[in-house]
Amino acid sequence: MKQAEQPGSVGEGLKQRGITRREFLKFCTAMTAMLALPPAMASVMAEAISKARRQSVIWLSFQECTGCTESITRSHSPTLENLIFDLISLDYHHTLQAASGAAAEHARELAMKGNEGKYLLIVDGSIPLGNPGYSTIAGISNYDMLLETARGAAAIVAVGTCATYGGLPKADPNPTGAVSVGDIIKDKPIINVPGCPPIPVVMTGVLAHFLTFGNIPELDALGRPKSFYGETIHDRCYRRPFYDQGKFAQTFDDEAARKGWCLFKLGCKGPVTYNACATTKWNDGTSFPIQSGHGCIGCSEPNFWDAGPLYKALSMPVSATAAMLGGAAAAGAAAGVAITWHNRSTKAAAKAAHEKVTVQELMREEK
Amino acid sequence: MSATLAKGLNSFKEVIDAPIASFFSSCVHCGLCAEACLFYTETGDAKYTPIHKLEPLRRVWQQEYTLLGKVGKALGLSTPVTDAELTEWEPLVYDSCTLCGRCAMVCPVGNDMTYMIRKMREGMAASGHAPEDLVGATTRAVTIGSPMGIKWPAVLAQIKHVQAETGIEVPVEKEGAEYLVLMSSMEIINFPEYLSALSRIFKQAGVSWTLAQDAFEATNSGIQIGASDLAREIVSRIVVAAERLKVKCVISPECGHAFTALRWEGPNLMGRPFGFEVKHILEVLDELHSAGKLKTQGKDKRPLTYHDPCQIARRGGVVEQPRRLLHEVAEDFREMPDAGTMNWCCGGGGGVSANSRAEPLRLQAFKHKKGQIEATGTQTLITACANCRIVMEEGLEHYHMKVEVLGLTELLAEYLVEEEKT
Repeated sequence: MKQAEQPGSVGEGLKQRGITRREFLKFCTAMTAMLALPPAMASVMAEAISKARRQSVIWLSFQECTGCTESITRSHSPTLENLIFDLISLDYHHTLQAASGAAAEHARELAMKGNEGKYLLIVDGSIPLGNPGYSTIAGISNYDMLLETARGAAAIVAVGTCATYGGLPKADPNPTGAVSVGDIIKDKPIINVPGCPPIPVVMTGVLAHFLTFGNIPELDALGRPKSFYGETIHDRCYRRPFYDQGKFAQTFDDEAARKGWCLFKLGCKGPVTYNACATTKWNDGTSFPIQSGHGCIGCSEPNFWDAGPLYKALSMPVSATAAMLGGAAAAGAAAGVAITWHNRSTKAAAKAAHEKVTVQELMREEK
Repeated sequence: MSATLAKGLNSFKEVIDAPIASFFSSCVHCGLCAEACLFYTETGDAKYTPIHKLEPLRRVWQQEYTLLGKVGKALGLSTPVTDAELTEWEPLVYDSCTLCGRCAMVCPVGNDMTYMIRKMREGMAASGHAPEDLVGATTRAVTIGSPMGIKWPAVLAQIKHVQAETGIEVPVEKEGAEYLVLMSSMEIINFPEYLSALSRIFKQAGVSWTLAQDAFEATNSGIQIGASDLAREIVSRIVVAAERLKVKCVISPECGHAFTALRWEGPNLMGRPFGFEVKHILEVLDELHSAGKLKTQGKDKRPLTYHDPCQIARRGGVVEQPRRLLHEVAEDFREMPDAGTMNWCCGGGGGVSANSRAEPLRLQAFKHKKGQIEATGTQTLITACANCRIVMEEGLEHYHMKVEVLGLTELLAEYLVEEEKT
């Protein structure tokens, strides 16, 4: 396929950067595998992406910690995951862009006007509804900016647990009245890519899917791409055999922990967390939390911060204290004793009142 | 002195124990027990759902032994059990339940409805809501010694007849014998073949046995009507006689509820373990057969099938023994559908056959047994309960079926190797 690359296309950009077609195909093959697409789709993806015009992307950051941006920039360079970002046209990202002040906002307005109905909107951070002044950019409240930018977007990718489900800002008692993108925008397709932060390759994978097919991938009930969030950490965890054998670490420094046994009893939330950490891993496939000896904290699940102590096993109650439980047990036992005593006295009275049945007494006198 | 509602309700309170409380509280109202009950399957009437037959007892449990029920009763919110209600329930508790226990086999939470009906009858009897015929039978059992009014002279006459026929002496009041043999009234009056068959089998096996003058009757109307005070009196006659004659084992005859009364309820009624074993005649015959003491010759050519009596198979656990024995003497033995522990009742157990009011319903329910027999294509039906036998003979007669019914013991005796002992 030695056709001339169209000017402004991804293929041309790749060529300019000295990326061979072979390397690009390798990336596409890995990507199709990750997205759980048939192998034959690799060349289709390569074709589609290399011919695509650079996709205009606007990235808005609201109540966030910049961790999501950190994550996506932490992907090792030079990798194709990193490069594909250069292959889109990131028209606005207030952490990464060089422009500032009025020029920065002008860039956003220009991109919105020039790609009306076509640009992709990426959001990280939650939106405060408590008071518009809690978080503003260039004097515009997060809420207003989201509404304004979302209007002309082809689709929205909510990145990170704050944008997808409210995240840390929404944690009890939610002082800013934080909500997720999906709580506000109802008329646009939204892809949720939760995680605190999300895995870089998951973010780039979702973008690749959008570039290839021009639509959004298959999502689960919580709006997450099934290809990355279809299974729990637990089901894909390399420590799962220990769980099945009932081999658990009891403390972080015991013999069992050193042997790499299951961290369930130390509060691992792997069994209830849907994410790809156990398969794609982090830092270019180096490791993930459980591999480095710490249980999963369930950061890609809604309200994970309020889902009980991080170091308490899932099977333990999270809301009741030991005193409450003890009190409830004692009250239950006392009630049980009282009812049993009452029932026994009822039955004893019935026994005492028993008159021996004789054959004469089998009939009623009036009968 | 008379039965009163107060006595009945007091009795309900008295019989409710931990099993009954857990049964009522674990019922999930699935209705599976209905499909297991032949009175429901043959009538399609929902009132014959086994657990429904216990409704008055359930309400007493709920009102007297549960917290919410107690509160409701104290506030006057609950409906008390009345005489009128018990009158309405009488046919459900006595006429449409043979205590066959099939419902308990299918209950997904393991509720034993039979156990509960048996206990509920205590209150029904104490409140004067037992069927007249059962009251009569029970009165005869207590005052005369047998529900059919049979006295020792009648047994003696049969002994003489059997001795003349077989030439074998029937031992009576023999102290130190191994087995005490009991009979049911049905066998004494309708099926003298049983005693004659036993004499011949025991002679061949060289077993020492005896009859007792004051304890020949195995049946226990006290169990059927649900009066433990009377059941205890009736069962104690057998216990006293067995201990007086120092027998090792008491043989329950071919009768269903007699086995239940003596083997399972007996020690509980007496409040102590027996000094002797209780076995069903089929268990004894099977033991003799395994020991090589029961030898048969030839096989019956007729295709035949076996009806498992509920109290002996399902409630008594004697399932394999009749099959082993039958294979010795039957050339073409055919199992009926649902044979064994899931067999269908003849329709007349648990006092139903003694209750003339229940006859039309019993005959209607017999259709299930009719279908089972027809499915085997046989015209010879073997069983091991004289009550099942008489009920089935009546049913077969009613539906104009040409099927002969035989007791397993007498069938075995027909093929016995008769050897002259020197």
